[in-house]
Amino acid sequence: MTSSRLIARYTIEHADHFEVITRYADTAETLHLPKEAPILPSLAAEHPAAIWFERKMQDDFSLRLEGTWDTRPLVQQEHFPHNTHPLLTSFDATQSLTPISAHPYPYETVDGDGVFEVPVGPIHAGIIEPGHFQFFQAGERILHLEVRHFYKHRGIEKMLEGTDPLHAWPIVERISGTESLAYQIAWRDILLQATRTELPESLRRYHALLLEMERIVHHLTDLGFIPNDAGFGAALAIASRLAEDARRQLKTLTGHRFGFGAVRQDIPAAYDPQQLLAWVKQLEQELQTFSDWILDVPSLWDRFDTTGILSRDDALTYDAIGVVARASGLPLDRRDTPWYRELGWECITETSGDVAARFLVRLREVAQSLTLIRHLAEDAAPVNTRLGTIEDGRYEAFAESPLGELYLTADLKGGRIKRFFVRDPSFVNWQVLHRMMPGNIIADFPLINKSCDLSYAGNDL
Amino acid sequence: MVRFWEQRAKRGIVTEHPEWEEEMAALRKGLKKGIHKHFAGSLAIRMVDSGSCNACEAECNALSNPYYALERLGIHFVASPRHADVMLLSGVMTFNMLPHVLDAWEQIPEPKWCITLGDCPLLEAPFTQTYAIEGPADTHLPIHHHIPGCPPTPEEIIRGLLEFLKTLG
Repeated sequence: MTSSRLIARYTIEHADHFEVITRYADTAETLHLPKEAPILPSLAAEHPAAIWFERKMQDDFSLRLEGTWDTRPLVQQEHFPHNTHPLLTSFDATQSLTPISAHPYPYETVDGDGVFEVPVGPIHAGIIEPGHFQFFQAGERILHLEVRHFYKHRGIEKMLEGTDPLHAWPIVERISGTESLAYQIAWRDILLQATRTELPESLRRYHALLLEMERIVHHLTDLGFIPNDAGFGAALAIASRLAEDARRQLKTLTGHRFGFGAVRQDIPAAYDPQQLLAWVKQLEQELQTFSDWILDVPSLWDRFDTTGILSRDDALTYDAIGVVARASGLPLDRRDTPWYRELGWECITETSGDVAARFLVRLREVAQSLTLIRHLAEDAAPVNTRLGTIEDGRYEAFAESPLGELYLTADLKGGRIKRFFVRDPSFVNWQVLHRMMPGNIIADFPLINKSCDLSYAGNDL
Repeated sequence: MVRFWEQRAKRGIVTEHPEWEEEMAALRKGLKKGIHKHFAGSLAIRMVDSGSCNACEAECNALSNPYYALERLGIHFVASPRHADVMLLSGVMTFNMLPHVLDAWEQIPEPKWCITLGDCPLLEAPFTQTYAIEGPADTHLPIHHHIPGCPPTPEEIIRGLLEFLKTLG
């Protein structure tokens, strides 16, 4: 069994060697690989979720992997030129690549009588981000799924290199739009550490409130779309109205429907807790009605129950996080701190690990976020924190985005970002998705996928 | 279940949106006329994301919520480019998505139009050029109309579509 949860694995390039950092939940390990033979011992056997991290390092830094069965390219797709490693210091960030004639990607294979494959994507039928799903089928039943992403790879890590950390906000908050506030809070924590600045309590409370607003919008959207993918459109009509109300509240609070630019050094003068609390009260009632109603629709729960089960063992083995992990019985949440517990926060978990469990976790978390907002909303005296000067060093921060644990690190040198690394919760959870598939019918894939609601943009960077 | 229907009856229809409904009413006349004239009463849009942060997608999904109910205006999102009149393009054009976007554009039957959604496709968003971004979208596709914003709100998207219809004469 895995010893400690794997959070991330990433590389920093130095003059004569590569430094590979493996971050676990309670510790971190560092390896130094000489540049003339950068051979990285793989963790794939112990932590399958290490596979994408390692394949990414192979693409980005030309590291060679040892002790793994999967050395296929990850970010670099069919037309990507060979021997190109964009995160090397010697690689000019703005240079344009010359596409080569397509070299086919070797998908995983499943053999057997009557086994067939269904390729889906990268462009999907709905209004949704692009990504590829390769299904291996025996009739209607799914045998296996391979998730292939990075179509949206924008080169965020390289884009931020050499940037003044104080001017990185506009990019950081747009890495994954629906998790923007979580990214901003993680970046805030990096800047606070780097400038040795204390965060005033009132500002901490205001930002925590915004993070719960983001969670409410996100979960309400899912509470509509998950039933919609089981053919129950009425839930979408109701939940999308509630989600729109919440998004408008976020706009009232921050001036932006996604809260871009909201987490900074001050609390806006227009912040009106009473108006917010009136909306909280109204949503609490509406949520209760929605909940009473939807929990009582047997044909819907017939679709939800036992669909797309992720066992607790698999969730552990694959280092799953966020709603996905909590629905499989793992109490993993970055809000698990004395500060949040004092506000009445408790980790919400379910044990069945199916679509029903993930739906219920979201439903209960919306209610909890509303309670947290009740405790966090208060008349705030205007604050304006002044950040000191940036001190070089390596900093890391966590935030619990609506999807799960977000991990962000920055290596600052000469007042600039030398290396920016972020691990979106989706990067880990995409790798566990295939464990939910075997035995389910292919028609239930959208339902299972939506119940996890992962980010493509945050994953692809 | 009884309580649900009680609430449902009490709430009525939320789609009427007073803040801009008055303005909408004036625009709608032109919109309906435009859609009737150019698209036989139904404008079919194929949304393609070539590298967005997913906020533009969230706002397009919001267009279907009861407040905006875009379909009442004769505009709807379709699953296949082969059913589409318009390609709505969001996000920066990534190196990895470019061939697939061109493929989707190829599949849309003539006459067809491409509308860029949000600041990303024309590289007006904060993202700077990298190896993974293939310049502004108009170097790869004929762009007929642009809806700015980061992301454009549902209202701005509807207004943008109206403006697009006006450009058709």
